[in-house]
Amino acid sequence: MTSVQGQRTTPAAQAALLRVDDLAKSYGGVHAVAGVSFDVLRGRITGLIGPNGAGKSTALGMVAGAIKPSRGSVLLNGTNVAGWPSHKIARRGLARTFQQSSDFAGMTVTENLLTARYGQRGDTLRGALLGRRYWRAEQESLTARAADVIARFDMARMANEFAGNLSGGQRRLLEIMRALMTEPEILLLDEPMAGVNPALGERIEDYLLQLKQDGLTMLMVEHEMAVVERLCDPIIVMAQGEILAEGTMEQIRSDQRVLDAYLN
Amino acid sequence: MSLAWSFYISTVLVYLGVDVMACWGLNLQYGYTGILNFSFIIYQSAGAYVAAVLTLGPNTAGSFQQYIGGANLPFPLPIIAGGIAGGLLSAVAGVIALRRLRSDYQAMVFLVISLIATAVVTSDVGLFNGPAGLSLIPQPLSTALNLSLVGYRWFYVGLTAVICLIIYAFLRLITSAPLGRSLRAVRDHEQGAAALGKNVTGLRMTSFVIGGVIAGISGAVLVEFISAWSPGGWLYQETFVLFTALIVGGTANNAGAALGALLVPVAFLEGSRFLPQFGPPGLIDALQWVAVGLMALIFVWFWPRGLLPERRRIIKLPGLPQAGTGQP
Repeated sequence: MTSVQGQRTTPAAQAALLRVDDLAKSYGGVHAVAGVSFDVLRGRITGLIGPNGAGKSTALGMVAGAIKPSRGSVLLNGTNVAGWPSHKIARRGLARTFQQSSDFAGMTVTENLLTARYGQRGDTLRGALLGRRYWRAEQESLTARAADVIARFDMARMANEFAGNLSGGQRRLLEIMRALMTEPEILLLDEPMAGVNPALGERIEDYLLQLKQDGLTMLMVEHEMAVVERLCDPIIVMAQGEILAEGTMEQIRSDQRVLDAYLN
Repeated sequence: MSLAWSFYISTVLVYLGVDVMACWGLNLQYGYTGILNFSFIIYQSAGAYVAAVLTLGPNTAGSFQQYIGGANLPFPLPIIAGGIAGGLLSAVAGVIALRRLRSDYQAMVFLVISLIATAVVTSDVGLFNGPAGLSLIPQPLSTALNLSLVGYRWFYVGLTAVICLIIYAFLRLITSAPLGRSLRAVRDHEQGAAALGKNVTGLRMTSFVIGGVIAGISGAVLVEFISAWSPGGWLYQETFVLFTALIVGGTANNAGAALGALLVPVAFLEGSRFLPQFGPPGLIDALQWVAVGLMALIFVWFWPRGLLPERRRIIKLPGLPQAGTGQP
């Protein structure tokens, strides 16, 4: 277990795939995130919770490169990626899903998955102009992987359906599937259960547990406390741009500052 | 077929070819990549002007028209140079608009760029002869072929068709490759594409410059045929005619873009020339613009995907049954 601020012990630090240190974002005089530090340990699902406006999604956005931090560092596998653009961080093995679904609505489920892989042979102008022969073999191998992912998530029925026709929950699943196509080292999930019906929510939860068992590291922002309790360890609590507490759900429940933040 | 009809039909077919090329270029930018390029017409115009001055020969003192960079290059170099000019100008505009701005602001910047370009070329007579424009541009190979007037026009129809086929084959290589999927990903969700490692600005620039090259070629092909070019022919409204063609025909579908080119700038605008004159002079021309605007609105409202919508690309997955039939 890691501590909240600046006292990360050696074994934990060694196990950290992602180390966030003094990360801050200000908009004028408003401190959306006021210098937070935490580790995300390998093979675990780290939960990031807090009331609305706590700065969770801003912190996640800074880690993923969508928001430029005002200060601080984000060490991904030892490399400081703070302030890098999203696509460069993604190429380092960080995948993410969004609070609002980010599917490619005009493309089929299968196409969404095939698009996900970075550095495809036919994904440059030169590669495209060299013709199908240049990139076909790689596409066949990617298609086989997409078929595996689709089968694993039980979405074969929707494989050639436009993503824009999927339900909200299926779109959440598609985002996770798409992220997995990149074979990430770490997956950032921004409220994966938002707007999902309970049955599909259970399925998503099962899939996330399976991914954890496969060794995938995840950082998850979520409001559903029961889901966070079942999936996440450790859990980090944010309020008003700062980290209030970190630990198991039991430890957090007994923390008066956390109770005050939620009750307020 | 009478000589007059042969003359007219060959002219319309060349216009159709030019409009098809332009719609394909715009379709790559807007239909596939989601770039609202309201300055498209200036890249077509850049190609036209460059091809014209590279065909006219060096400007001589006392000539009735003034221009820069005159040369007498043989066919097809002026057309190739026209494409390069369209690409270079679009690269400059792309660097200004595509790197930092959101798509709605990009559209505003492109519209402003279009207005500035028209104002500069109209005001600076030394560039391309100001509002009077360039004329008496020699037609390519006309002396070497020694054909009749109508015979040459049909030759040019064939030449335009060949260029269309080359552009179509080129676009097909791009849009059917993984690069085409990445462009559509950028169109559908910019942040989502970036989160998958796609360089959104790079992809947009690629699409924008290729579209600019195609626009430049279309302008060069047109000016070498009609032998004249002036700012009155490339006002910003012309871009909206091409957008309407795409909306009517269908975006992200090259067949739809070609159908839109046939229906809007060719069939509709040419067809309305045969209407009997009524009202004050210029009324029919003004009503054409109104009709084009209404057509765009009606299609956006009732048939937003156009007559030939973007097709669903079925990909067979090994070991899985095929499914899915809907539209987004």
